[in-house]
Amino acid sequence: MNEHRQQILEMLAAGKVTTDEAERLIAALEKEPTSGATANASDVVAKAKPKYLRVMVEDAGSEGPINVNVRVPMQLLRAGVKLASLIPPQARDRLNVAMGEHGMMFDLSQVKPENIEELIDELQDLTVDVDENRANGEKKTKVRVFCE
Amino acid sequence: MIPLTAVVRICTARRHRFGIWLPLFLVWLLLLPVALLLLPIIFVVCLVCSVNPFRAISTAWQITAGLSGTHVEVEHRQTSVLVHIY
Repeated sequence: MNEHRQQILEMLAAGKVTTDEAERLIAALEKEPTSGATANASDVVAKAKPKYLRVMVEDAGSEGPINVNVRVPMQLLRAGVKLASLIPPQARDRLNVAMGEHGMMFDLSQVKPENIEELIDELQDLTVDVDENRANGEKKTKVRVFCE
Repeated sequence: MIPLTAVVRICTARRHRFGIWLPLFLVWLLLLPVALLLLPIIFVVCLVCSVNPFRAISTAWQITAGLSGTHVEVEHRQTSVLVHIY
């Protein structure tokens, strides 16, 4: 029995409230968890998994502005990670070495399909904004990566 | 669900507009017999490369299905290219 219900029963025993009032108070108490569940459900809806990864690039290049707008479905990312796990070990080693030569110290064998859901969950709260400015302060490149 | 249609739009500096609607479902229909013919070869190649052929086919299917909703848009000066897969 919870604390509130016990208080109501004590008030009833002390004659501070009538039976009807106590019944209504208990009924109101019972409704509370339902409204809490509704709130939780709305939280779940609000925190729905993102469907797309969007990459937007605006570049004020010397030969005119360049705008890139790419939307990649998360389903494709998931499949891509699975594809990475299918790469034969010999090829994976060569890939890791090649990526290391280009400054990307990344081990592809560490990318597992089990981790992708965690990664996507983290991505929904992530927005990456990169602004590169010219020496004179003029904006040159703007990159925005976010989930939607 | 695999993508069924795609749209490609190209606008050039000379204000030439070119848009094409690609019925991907026809492409899949045409590729289906080819895929069936290639299936034994895919199996052999997968086994030689020590890759589970069923996982490989499943992943290829997931990649194809995952293409739905892909949107790529590039604009430079007055030229723009748009690809949208439905």
